[in-house]
Amino acid sequence: MNRLKILQIIIIAVALSIIARLFYWQFLANIPSQSSSYSQEIKLPASRGQIFASDNFPLATNQEAFLIYAKPKEIDKESDLAKKIAPFLISEKYATAGANLLEEQKKQKETEIGKKEEEITQKIKNKNLLWVQIGRKVPKNIKNILDELKIKGLGFERDEKRFYPEASMAAHLLGFVGSDKFGDDTGYFGLEGFFDEKLKGKSGKLGLDKDPFGFPILVSKYRTVEPKEGESLILTIDRTIQYIVEQKLKAATEKYGAKQGTVIVSQPQTGQILAMATYPSYDPNLFTEFNEKDYKNPAVADTYEPGSTFKLITIAAALDTAVVSPQTKCEVCSGPRQIGGYEISTWNKKYYPNSTITEVIQHSDNVGMTFVAEKLGTDKLFDYIQKFGFDKNTGIELQEETTGVIRDKEQWRQIDLATASFGQGLAVTPIQMVQTVQTIANGGKQIPPRLVKAVIEKDKQKPVKQPAEKQLISQKTAAQITEMMVNAVENGEARAFKPKGYRIAGKTGTAQIPLAGHYDPEKTIASFVGFAPAQNPRFVMLVRFTEPSSSIFGSETAAPTFFEIAKEIFSYLAISPKDN
Amino acid sequence: MLKKDFKLAKKENFNVGGKIHVRVLVAVTTVLTFLIFAQLVFANNLAIDGQKLSQVEEEIKNLQAENTALKVEIAKASSFTTLSQQANDLGFMKPSKVTVF
Repeated sequence: MNRLKILQIIIIAVALSIIARLFYWQFLANIPSQSSSYSQEIKLPASRGQIFASDNFPLATNQEAFLIYAKPKEIDKESDLAKKIAPFLISEKYATAGANLLEEQKKQKETEIGKKEEEITQKIKNKNLLWVQIGRKVPKNIKNILDELKIKGLGFERDEKRFYPEASMAAHLLGFVGSDKFGDDTGYFGLEGFFDEKLKGKSGKLGLDKDPFGFPILVSKYRTVEPKEGESLILTIDRTIQYIVEQKLKAATEKYGAKQGTVIVSQPQTGQILAMATYPSYDPNLFTEFNEKDYKNPAVADTYEPGSTFKLITIAAALDTAVVSPQTKCEVCSGPRQIGGYEISTWNKKYYPNSTITEVIQHSDNVGMTFVAEKLGTDKLFDYIQKFGFDKNTGIELQEETTGVIRDKEQWRQIDLATASFGQGLAVTPIQMVQTVQTIANGGKQIPPRLVKAVIEKDKQKPVKQPAEKQLISQKTAAQITEMMVNAVENGEARAFKPKGYRIAGKTGTAQIPLAGHYDPEKTIASFVGFAPAQNPRFVMLVRFTEPSSSIFGSETAAPTFFEIAKEIFSYLAISPKDN
Repeated sequence: MLKKDFKLAKKENFNVGGKIHVRVLVAVTTVLTFLIFAQLVFANNLAIDGQKLSQVEEEIKNLQAENTALKVEIAKASSFTTLSQQANDLGFMKPSKVTVF
């Protein structure tokens, strides 16, 4: 055999052995965990879009956070590790300095730490696991502390966490970000819920081959899909007005001993919401620490019997169809009335025979309203209730918006027409009432309420299209109701609280709460809705208290709060009495 | 042709064939050596580039994280909640009466 043949045999033998080895690695060797680490597809999370107030201040932004994991195989004493890290992984509400915590809170903190220690120990006990998650969305300062402890077997993975710099301010409006069943960030309630798909963007994919040192091998495809950052929102919310409203609302809710208070402020000409607040509120940064019942925004999700504020709708329908005029005299106002077996009386048992329709509104006279309702009839009143949109959503960009509760017209009896005329026997949402009063303030043109002014996509700001306006009632009718509302403020029960020099249009409402088939006289929803200045409205506002205890009446609770907030808005928007 | 001449011719033919084989082998070996060397250089460059890319990406991530942290700090410091608390602590008070001229 010559040397050439020997060389050929060696080359073939080497080639065969390489093929055999490759065959072994490819098909026979069982190394799942190692092989996956060389070639993998990594999800690239997209940054969630931010939510800005109208002054471009971020009401919802993102902050750096970390996922903390442990490798059980590398940990010698589970309890030691758990003891070291547990105090840092309990709720952030205990993050205040120890001295600032009350005795009870200190005890709670100790219990929480104990529970966390137990949980961590259990997690890392299983030595068969390669990796266990210890904590999610851990803030950077905590990660730094844990990093300095140099604990063997503990690792960190970079992540993002939603952060609300103004804490509980506008919480009901914003909603919050939690996790869905797959552990992915998801927006719940408010704007976070409504715009979840837009805000979350689209995560990308990284098709990646790595060498044994973990560095990417560049011969294969590298980035397969780039992540698409979420869109950001610019709201119509005026941060200063929102702050004023929240401060005043908190003080008033506590002062009047109400279970809950809600305020909405809007701009009638555009439908833009300037402020929307409810007290008690919650901190979306720590939403898990609050009762789930607090998450829904009562301004759009609560239905209530509006009481006397609904008289505005009945009067609007009656004036618009010309069945009455502001000077029409009430022919049945001399005393209580019996309708369908029920007695209809006034709230203070005072009666004003032959009062005009303007005076009926001024005295908030239920008997006078039954007179108007009878002139109007069920068909017309029902038509206007539908025209004003009480049977449908306003379309405001909040996830939990609900519609009012209006029974079918066929079910209305004579007594239903009578009670509906003064706002009982039907239910509306606060935002629907604001939309209606906006229409009156806007010369009869209805513009649906809106919260988002512009959307930022790829650093480009796009204004959101204004919703179409609709002439719902005539300008004349709107002007007549405005004058009646001004008269109600000037001469009504709440006149003592009104800021001097300003013409404010408004209407009080006190509705008993229906409980188990009857009305509880001690439990009411007190409200006040209006706008100012009356002739050139700059804002519409609704104030509503649930079960105020110091007084059950809207004129003694909601109206003074309306005027308190209005005074501050006058100063802030530089509205002088001359602007009337 | 004589038997002797035939053997000589065969030997010469073989020498020519052998020379060609050797040349081909040398050429193939040279090309293979060059390719192996090129592969080594290429793989080495890739490994270095991968490492560099990894470093650059890490740097980008760190800068982005720092940027986010600073934005959050600014938002925290300029929030109304913080500002009103500071104003309170410094003894600022709201005007008790606003006069409009």
